[in-house]
Amino acid sequence: MWPLPWRRWRYRSRVSGTVLARCWEAPAPAARRPWVEQRFLVCDAEMSSLDVNEGELLSLGWVAVDGGRVNLASASHCLIATTGSVGQSAGIHQLRDCDLEQAGSEADAIDRLCEAARGRVLVFHHAPLDLTYLNRASQRHFGAPLLLPYLDTLAMEKRYRDRVGQAEHNGGLNLTACRRRYGLPDYPAHNALVDALATAELLLAIASHRGGVDREGRSKPARLKDLR
Amino acid sequence: MSSADQHEPASGSRAISPELQSLVDFLGQTLPFNELDPDTLRASAADMEVIYHRQGERLVTGDGSGLRVVRSGAIDLRDGQNKLLDRLGEGESFHLERLNQAHSEGVTATVIEDTLLYHLPNHRYLALREAHRDFDRYFHTQRSRRLRRAARYESQPHAMTQAVASVMTSDLLTVRPDTPISETARAMTARRVSSVFVMDGETLAGIVTDRDLRERVLAADRSPETATRDIMTADVRWLQAEASLFEALLTMTRYGCHHLPVLRDNKLCGVVTTSDLMLARQDDPVFLVQHIYRQEEVAGIQSLLQGVPNLMVQWVNTGIRARQVSRVLTAISDAVTVRLLQIAEARLGPPPVPYCWAGFGSQGRQEQLLGADQDNGLIIDNSMGEEHADYFQRLAQSVCDGLDTCGYPYCNGNVMAMNPEWRLPLAQWQEKVRSWTRTPTPDAVMRVSIFFDLRAIHGDASLCEQLQQTMLSASSDNTIFLAALAQNALDNPAPLGIFRRFVVDRDGQHRDSLDLKKHGVMPITDIVRLHALGHRVAAVNTDERLLALEQAGALAKVDARNLTDALHCLQRLRLQNHVEQQLRGEKVSNFLNPRNLSKMAREQLRDAFSIIHDAQAGVRLRFRQGMG
Repeated sequence: MWPLPWRRWRYRSRVSGTVLARCWEAPAPAARRPWVEQRFLVCDAEMSSLDVNEGELLSLGWVAVDGGRVNLASASHCLIATTGSVGQSAGIHQLRDCDLEQAGSEADAIDRLCEAARGRVLVFHHAPLDLTYLNRASQRHFGAPLLLPYLDTLAMEKRYRDRVGQAEHNGGLNLTACRRRYGLPDYPAHNALVDALATAELLLAIASHRGGVDREGRSKPARLKDLR
Repeated sequence: MSSADQHEPASGSRAISPELQSLVDFLGQTLPFNELDPDTLRASAADMEVIYHRQGERLVTGDGSGLRVVRSGAIDLRDGQNKLLDRLGEGESFHLERLNQAHSEGVTATVIEDTLLYHLPNHRYLALREAHRDFDRYFHTQRSRRLRRAARYESQPHAMTQAVASVMTSDLLTVRPDTPISETARAMTARRVSSVFVMDGETLAGIVTDRDLRERVLAADRSPETATRDIMTADVRWLQAEASLFEALLTMTRYGCHHLPVLRDNKLCGVVTTSDLMLARQDDPVFLVQHIYRQEEVAGIQSLLQGVPNLMVQWVNTGIRARQVSRVLTAISDAVTVRLLQIAEARLGPPPVPYCWAGFGSQGRQEQLLGADQDNGLIIDNSMGEEHADYFQRLAQSVCDGLDTCGYPYCNGNVMAMNPEWRLPLAQWQEKVRSWTRTPTPDAVMRVSIFFDLRAIHGDASLCEQLQQTMLSASSDNTIFLAALAQNALDNPAPLGIFRRFVVDRDGQHRDSLDLKKHGVMPITDIVRLHALGHRVAAVNTDERLLALEQAGALAKVDARNLTDALHCLQRLRLQNHVEQQLRGEKVSNFLNPRNLSKMAREQLRDAFSIIHDAQAGVRLRFRQGMG
């Protein structure tokens, strides 16, 4: 895979002047620096189907991680107006058509997300699904995919488990199961924002465990590149 | 500092996203965030950061000060000498910098289980304290003051404050002023009442009682045909329907009458009598104690005492304090003991030489609660001869058996007058005390801790006083003995970590529960007894000992008060636990699952344990210096 700046090149004129272009101007993450120096935006998307050809984005939630801490003031949630009915997924995500009446457009949501993402590394739990939807939306809105740096807590955890010979499959890698392994509490409700916060806490936990603690009880944070 | 901090809007203009209500709900259940209104709570949640700490990490003050709330995991707080101050779990909060100000040597917070924290930055924390009085109060009142408020809390309701209307008889017998006395008497007999009201139309003209019939008719040789008007008491004392039973009692006592008419809107609506008042006072322990003294058989006492657990529930529910309840329960067991002794003396004949029946332990200290076993002994006059041994053996046996029948079970440690070791002439007791204090073996120290809390229950109290004097003079200057006693008091460290399940009993029927008596009340009484012996304080009741120690300058006022409050707090929790067990139909015990406590009660319990911990540190310093 080509590095991000190279892949962005062909879209540069299309996105010119948009929020996305300003995101692209930010310096690349410093992979060799301690992870706590990197700023993150942890996101979760809810959609009406797991199949990107059938489904639509219903809501986005995100929360910022600065200096190794989740900043709750940054927690944001946007509902997205859909063209079809919510259908079956409503049962899972507790969104109903009537809730969606207060919803904004997909374009607004993407704009706001990019605004919040400037200078940050995106984080998802199971990034491929969310990014497929987000890139489609970005393509519609900016004429280009997001092409932003990101981490995937599911992939991080899977690689780690495989490496230490405790491979987890399917259910063992879902958000709740991963959190339990790090002693994090279960959250009863689910929406894009609660899941984004849950993912952010999982990021903190995984990152702490990739680093060390010295004899005086000081934590030694891992480098950003060691999180993967 | 992060960019979000730099661009913080003014306080109050923000709130956390409604999608994170579950986080707000969690905060709203913790102290003291439960004091905040929903809007402030949402704004405060937005002010917070979430931090994750790995096991083994040590939190330092440099990490940005402020209030930290444990969301999950566990954290130990230790002082400069690495002594455990507290173990915090879910929903509990701490402010490291404030703790450091309070402890000169510095406090460290060590993560003992991976922990997720909510951190409220210091300026936000201070702003909240500034703006919200109840929130502030939680912090600026020190933990001991918080505890004192809880210990002194008292609600007012009492049976004697209820209105007379609630107990009066409203089905009244009335006669006209010209009704002949004979007819009035027949009406009273038919209705089985002892008083009748003489009504002139709607107006109450007077009252006639059984006594008037005796004194003003029979004794005065009046004709039964006389009009009732001629023998009635015209100047009638009466009460308003809203008057309290207490006022009724006062009026009756003051004017020597047993019947009081009750008026509502100036019309007669009922009558209240002394027996109505007695019925209303059924929960009065005086009533019970009087009845105990009237019993001629053990069985009678036993059946009277069966009502005590229910009475205790009533006393607690009407807001009587733990200290008073334990005094009353002790008064009841004293009465039972005295009555059993009187019954035994009546059967065995008068004692051949003087004796004193002494109560030990909680009965001695007047701090008994339900379920206490018996701790007692006999101090017999030195003139006792061998031929008298049989009398006292039979006396003791019959009283101890009687106590067991009445619900005060035999003592496991055999500290009972029926045991010949605890039934001795004064001189032998004195020699025993001297030998215990000369050679403080662990067994002797254990006996001493029961024995030194002694109080004369019945018989010649001077025997008990002489023994007490011997105890005080044998122990107060004996540093080796006091050091042994101090070790005993330190053997039961305050279980600061109970809320994390580490210190509670791990096995058997009482798994995961805490013994409030063993871990709470006993350490306090041990510490206070030690100080009392060290300063020749003759008082036995723990409150009285503390007061005497405070007045003698042996304990700082604040330490004495803190121990008093901690004891009352523990006794109150024990008592509440007993009440709940009683209401569930369980046998009372001192075991309590800390998880079943309310947040406030848990905080108070923790405060009480912190005070015990501090007091134990004081004991170590004072009595075990140089002993390791």
